Amino acid sequence: MFQYEKVLQYPVNIKTPNPALAKVIISQLGGPDGEVGAAMRYLNQRYSAPCREVQAILTDIGTEELGHMEMVAAILYQLTRNLSVKEIKESGFDAYFVDHTAGVYPTAASGFPWTAASMQVKGDVITDLNEDMAAEQKARTTYDNILRLSDDPDVNNVMRYLREREIVHYQRFGEALRRTIDRLDDKNYYIMNPAFDR
Amino acid sequence: MENNRQKALRKLMAARFALHDAELYLDSHPDCQEGLRYFRAKREQMEKLRNEYEAEFGSLTAACAKADERWEWVCGAFPWERGES
Repeated sequence: MFQYEKVLQYPVNIKTPNPALAKVIISQLGGPDGEVGAAMRYLNQRYSAPCREVQAILTDIGTEELGHMEMVAAILYQLTRNLSVKEIKESGFDAYFVDHTAGVYPTAASGFPWTAASMQVKGDVITDLNEDMAAEQKARTTYDNILRLSDDPDVNNVMRYLREREIVHYQRFGEALRRTIDRLDDKNYYIMNPAFDR
Repeated sequence: MENNRQKALRKLMAARFALHDAELYLDSHPDCQEGLRYFRAKREQMEKLRNEYEAEFGSLTAACAKADERWEWVCGAFPWERGES
């Protein structure tokens, strides 16, 4: 089960509302490489992981991603506070506002809502861990792109923190993959799927 | 300016983070003695800071919230509000 702790993993305090920036940041909530997808990917993949270490990594990184989902949502919430109709129209936030007001909805910056089609659970640990390593790099690139587009120091401070976490997770998934390969027949680890073939 | 609650919270968040990062490391290095020592030290530090914080500023989990006169869980702000983290 999960228990909520009333504390963010890293502080989020945005001084200046900026709905135009929120339109971009929202992709790290509900975009194809965002935090909702990361949490769903790892927390659903863990059942077919064949050893405890990999089950633990998927559980603990998946849980951290729920915390990142909350941090990105907090940024969006704070960037879109106290907006006037004029600001909403001039920033181009109107297309989002008409459907969601200033609520936090998991969608890509393009407006495409979060979809499980942007992630996979293949039920094969080698395949899934390779996807997870790619997912961390895709998220890292997205944070790089946000840092190119944003000049708000309060936002960028959090973006840099989250970017670092992608790199740490990539490292941990790489170790999980190595451990898995070592346990299987390392001369031919594609010989079988340990979650299916007995 | 940070108030006392924020100061205590930031210290707790830093210790909480170090502990979490050590957890991930131990998942893939379960026999690393140096890692285990680091984790034990961080856990002790985090538990001390959490107990001090919760005693003064309220529980971080609903299960541990005070339930005497009024349900404490709804008395403190949630952390996504500006100034609450």
